[in-house]
Amino acid sequence: MLQPDLLRLQTEGPVLVKSCAENGPTGSTQERRQREAEAGEPFTFTPQLIRLHRDHELFEDGDVHRHMYLQDLYITEADDDKPALSVSEFACHISGCSAVFSTLDEYEHHYNSLHRHVCCSCRRSLPSARLLDIHIQEWHDSLFTILAQRQDMYQCLVDGCGQKFRTSKHRKDHLIRIHKYPPDFRFDKNKKDGGSRETRRQQQKDSAMEAADDVCESEGVCEVMCDVPSNQPEHGESMETHVSEEEADRTFKSALTEEDADLSAVAHDTRNTSTDPPKPRYSYRVPPTVCFGHGSVRGFRGRRGRRK
Amino acid sequence: MWRLNKVHHKASKQGDSLEELRLKRREHEKALRQARRDRQLVSKRLLLNEDEDQPEPTMDTNTAEQDMVTLFHNLQHSGPEREAHLKALSKALRDPSAQLTFIKKENSMHLLVSLLTGSNATCRLQAVRCLHELSHSPHNNVAPACLPATPYLLTYLSGQSTKFTELCLYTLGNLFPDSDVVKDKLVAQGIIPALANCIENQRHNLAVVEAVGFTLSQLLQVKDAAEKIIPTVLASSIPSHLLSVLTPDPKFGLAPAIECAWCLHYLTCSIEDNRVLLAHRAMLQCSSLLVSLGGAVASGNKEEGMELLIFPLLRCVGNLLSFCPVEDLTTQVGDHHIVAALCALLEAYLQTQPALARESAWVLNNLTAYSSAFCSALLTLNLVPGLIQLLPFSQGINTMILRVLANIAHNRKEFCVQLANLGLLSALCATLKMADQEMVTLSMDVLFMLVVSGPQVAEEFVRHGGLSVLEATQYNSEGEIRQRATYLLKTLEENISCS
Repeated sequence: MLQPDLLRLQTEGPVLVKSCAENGPTGSTQERRQREAEAGEPFTFTPQLIRLHRDHELFEDGDVHRHMYLQDLYITEADDDKPALSVSEFACHISGCSAVFSTLDEYEHHYNSLHRHVCCSCRRSLPSARLLDIHIQEWHDSLFTILAQRQDMYQCLVDGCGQKFRTSKHRKDHLIRIHKYPPDFRFDKNKKDGGSRETRRQQQKDSAMEAADDVCESEGVCEVMCDVPSNQPEHGESMETHVSEEEADRTFKSALTEEDADLSAVAHDTRNTSTDPPKPRYSYRVPPTVCFGHGSVRGFRGRRGRRK
Repeated sequence: MWRLNKVHHKASKQGDSLEELRLKRREHEKALRQARRDRQLVSKRLLLNEDEDQPEPTMDTNTAEQDMVTLFHNLQHSGPEREAHLKALSKALRDPSAQLTFIKKENSMHLLVSLLTGSNATCRLQAVRCLHELSHSPHNNVAPACLPATPYLLTYLSGQSTKFTELCLYTLGNLFPDSDVVKDKLVAQGIIPALANCIENQRHNLAVVEAVGFTLSQLLQVKDAAEKIIPTVLASSIPSHLLSVLTPDPKFGLAPAIECAWCLHYLTCSIEDNRVLLAHRAMLQCSSLLVSLGGAVASGNKEEGMELLIFPLLRCVGNLLSFCPVEDLTTQVGDHHIVAALCALLEAYLQTQPALARESAWVLNNLTAYSSAFCSALLTLNLVPGLIQLLPFSQGINTMILRVLANIAHNRKEFCVQLANLGLLSALCATLKMADQEMVTLSMDVLFMLVVSGPQVAEEFVRHGGLSVLEATQYNSEGEIRQRATYLLKTLEENISCS
């Protein structure tokens, strides 16, 4: 795809770009709005005259066309089979998600399916606000864990059913028997199962994420795997508007207190392991395997990973 | 000389299927593209014999060589068959190996030159035909061998025989790229004034004008043209002659205008100081021609090969604009219909020649960068909705068009409101999601200008669901984009709460 890089025009030799001052004499400044860039405004656009030198790449196609004609290779439009025009692709903006789409609809579907209801602690993506609520309650709320020891806290996932159960296993049985969910539906993983899967997945994930993985193993409907195709190298910076790493860690750790000591040990280990940049294994076609971590809204407060 | 249709005929006569032809063409194109990237893009033209209407396949190499040797031998003895021998020799010299063998023969060039300058007019014609075949050789050691003939070719440019002059011109044009020695010698011998005279004296003879244009374009493309050749050309009467031939003759066709337009392009893009051409009213001429071409295209008269003329015209205007002070713009460019013409060209060639669409958008950028008049014209002529619809197209088209829209927004606050009313906000909601980072960044810069132009614009953006798009963009991997998104969200909050 021939993409004249306009920003490069300013630095490469052959092109002369004239700035406003040189070419806009006083007569016309009155006409033109003077938008002085205020301090702190990050916007850099200014109108620019673009001069293109003979050898500029923007001229390539036209030059080739001209020489094809000189060499008697000209072809009429009717005979030309080449589809030359292309449409811009859309890409998911969420850092770490490298999904690309050819239509806006596909993009919207992807974004709405995967990035809207995201748990801030473990970055699991849930299909709906209700399921996100349930997930957060069951996995990140220490009060829930305490109460669950004494009363039926596990809600049926089917909206409107209202039944509650003492354990997630009971709930699962209910869902299968009463609501006809498939037996191999991916419900809560037994927490003790963590081990082997963790090691397998280590290489593929952001270290900060892995720890969370043990804890937040699937919430029923949504799904397990959260592969973060994080392509960026680790950096120290984090976004100003978000909760610091320590706070997020604390929330996470408190949720851990009631859990298996084994798991937390595993978690610590995995967090210290350095990972290779995981390969993006993610496609927008929603899968059972979903990705990710940021999203809007719901409890989103911080990003645990690194960003440039 | 207009040979566009030949490709059709070639396909059917030589038995190549259209598919094979396309394949060959695609390979050639690839080779040309690579040559351009290596700064080695040169071409030669072959002027066909009167009895040929397409380049005949060259005969078997051995036969050609054999023929050539025999003919050369025969030519060394004068006699009534000389003309016939010469004609046959020229046919044999179509073959590249025969060409090589010929120049290696002792006295071969000497003989040709003597025939070229002899008293027999037919022999002169055939001799120049032989030289022309030699000049078209793919071997670059053939050109220097033709050096002895070049001063005579130059002299003959002021002659009166059309066919003869054409052959001389194309031969010289073919020789320039291969040999610096030939070029330097001819420049020293005054080829530039000779070309000026030729085009002046023969300006009604469009075949010759086309040939002069071609030869000049070859000269202007040599590597050191900017220092050694272009200043002399600009000081001569050539620019005004080129401009006077620019309007195509309906009967003869586009060819002479095409050659002259490319010459003008090489003149404008090779040097930075274009005041000579501006003084000749080059920009006015080129832009009014673009207006008529745009008009023709808009009313459905898209002539074949027109883009070969449009490309160089666009480039002349685009580069001259970058040199023209904004207060002179209207006198130099003419009225504002140029913007309508450019938009018509953009749409008409979008699918078939996207590069032409992109270059049209580039010219629009240069027109609108500092001029309120041209920004306003795009709005009053109702061209903006059409431009907005082109924002999906990549290969540099959407970035250039977005720059144009950004120029308009930057120019005046009132323009921002108009742009918002024409649907730019919802278009930006889409462009903000594109994969191209440059589009996203530029979209945010434009959005900022729109949003600060007034609370009603800010509110409308929010109604279009813009907030969630920006929120998503806050998590982009590029820091520059995140910064903009955050700032925009902050600005929107302020603007809306204050209204």
